[in-house]
Amino acid sequence: MFTEAEIVQRTNKVLVEYFEIEQERLVPTAHIFQDFGLDSLDTVDLIVALQKEFDVTIRDDERIRQLGTLQSIYSFIAAVQQEMNTPTAP
Amino acid sequence: MEFRRVVITGMGAISPLGNEVGSMVDAVAAGQCATRIIEEWQKYPMLRSKVAAPVLGVDEKIIPRQDRRSMSKMSIYSALAAKQAIAAAGLSDAQVQSERTGCVISSTIGSTNTLASSIEKLLPDYDISKVTTMEFFQCISHTAALNVANHLTIRGMVYSPSAACASSMQSIGMGYDLIRWGEQDRVLCGGAEELHPMVTGSFDVLYAASKGFNDRPQQTPRPFDRDRDGLVCGEGAGILLLEELEHAQKRNAPIFGEVIGYHTCSTGDQISQSNSAAMIQCMTTALNKAGVKASEVDYVNAHATATPQGDCAEAEAIRTIFGSRTPVSSFKGHLGHTLGAAGALESIVCVEMARRNRLFPTHNLKNLDPDCAGIDHVVETREARTRTLLKNGFAFGGINATLLYRFNDRT
Repeated sequence: MFTEAEIVQRTNKVLVEYFEIEQERLVPTAHIFQDFGLDSLDTVDLIVALQKEFDVTIRDDERIRQLGTLQSIYSFIAAVQQEMNTPTAP
Repeated sequence: MEFRRVVITGMGAISPLGNEVGSMVDAVAAGQCATRIIEEWQKYPMLRSKVAAPVLGVDEKIIPRQDRRSMSKMSIYSALAAKQAIAAAGLSDAQVQSERTGCVISSTIGSTNTLASSIEKLLPDYDISKVTTMEFFQCISHTAALNVANHLTIRGMVYSPSAACASSMQSIGMGYDLIRWGEQDRVLCGGAEELHPMVTGSFDVLYAASKGFNDRPQQTPRPFDRDRDGLVCGEGAGILLLEELEHAQKRNAPIFGEVIGYHTCSTGDQISQSNSAAMIQCMTTALNKAGVKASEVDYVNAHATATPQGDCAEAEAIRTIFGSRTPVSSFKGHLGHTLGAAGALESIVCVEMARRNRLFPTHNLKNLDPDCAGIDHVVETREARTRTLLKNGFAFGGINATLLYRFNDRT
């Protein structure tokens, strides 16, 4: 399980390394399309990068359509992580 | 049917000897050799050839990320070379973006670096989801053409006639045909390549890569030389802007030369061996199509990569057509074998060499192989006025290609 701070740090690292976004622009309210200029192809590759970074499988998760602000990505990763670690009923 | 005339109005180069046309040609004129030891290849113990001719000093971030994301090195080189060619030609954005402007750029394969890294990611678990969309765009075989077209907003015809080491010969030939047939008014033509040990390895496994000069890289490759032991892979991109003559004249474009002939043909029954008869057929047909006699050719730029068999076959073919009266040299000793870029980069050196009234020698040709004798090898720089120039390019798969260029009086 990654802490909230680790999720923020690792997500931001993906945006810097893959999409060349300057670190100082990575604030929770920033929008990946409107503020960073990412497009739909970038979104596909963002998902690939997040899967690798957090060792999760999210590419068929309907919630990825709602991703916009950095905060929405942080929250989404935290939720996915939580679900993965919640034991299912026998 | 009257065909339209096709001239060269711009050129661009990213090469192992410089990242613009002028510096590349100056380096060739100065007799420099781009071959060096590639330290990273030491980790491949079974790769016998540890030398190559790399491109150095390219700042890829000149290209915005949104365009660069789908580019591997070969597309970056192509885009930068294409922009040089457009600048040299003085084309406006509107002319570049016209549907009458095409783009024909090829390489031997898509990005080998991205192919290798993608397969490394994919293979342990056979997990395709680890590969990004942009990696696919870098791997596809027309990656250089599509990326240049996307970067420059090309709206005309886009092709990528991949044919191994004759790729950019065919690109120039196709651009020439598209313009003279009236399909396009301008075409950015050329080819690109990027180094990877897998590429050198593909020649090494066929005993065609130089392996005896890993401690003396500047002494290889050695086209036509008795001690040659194979080719040295290089990388880069060469782009020529071809334009219909009247369009070029109307806008007072610089005219660097004219393409007057082209032919390509298959050997038919060989995938790796060079074949003199097919080379003769290719050169002869190109001459016939252009209405040029062999005696009118002032210089032959050989494909000659420094493989033992290929150089002999080409020397025999040139000897059969031209005897010993026409000067011949190869630029592989300077630039290495830039594979998909070779036909274009070497054509650009040819054009500038003719403009400088010089003939550049075959670098590293010190002791002529008797089996390559009987032709007029240029072994030191000559002063000469070149009016008609024949350029060869040959490739795996039995692909042969010849281009004919003319300078000065007809342009």
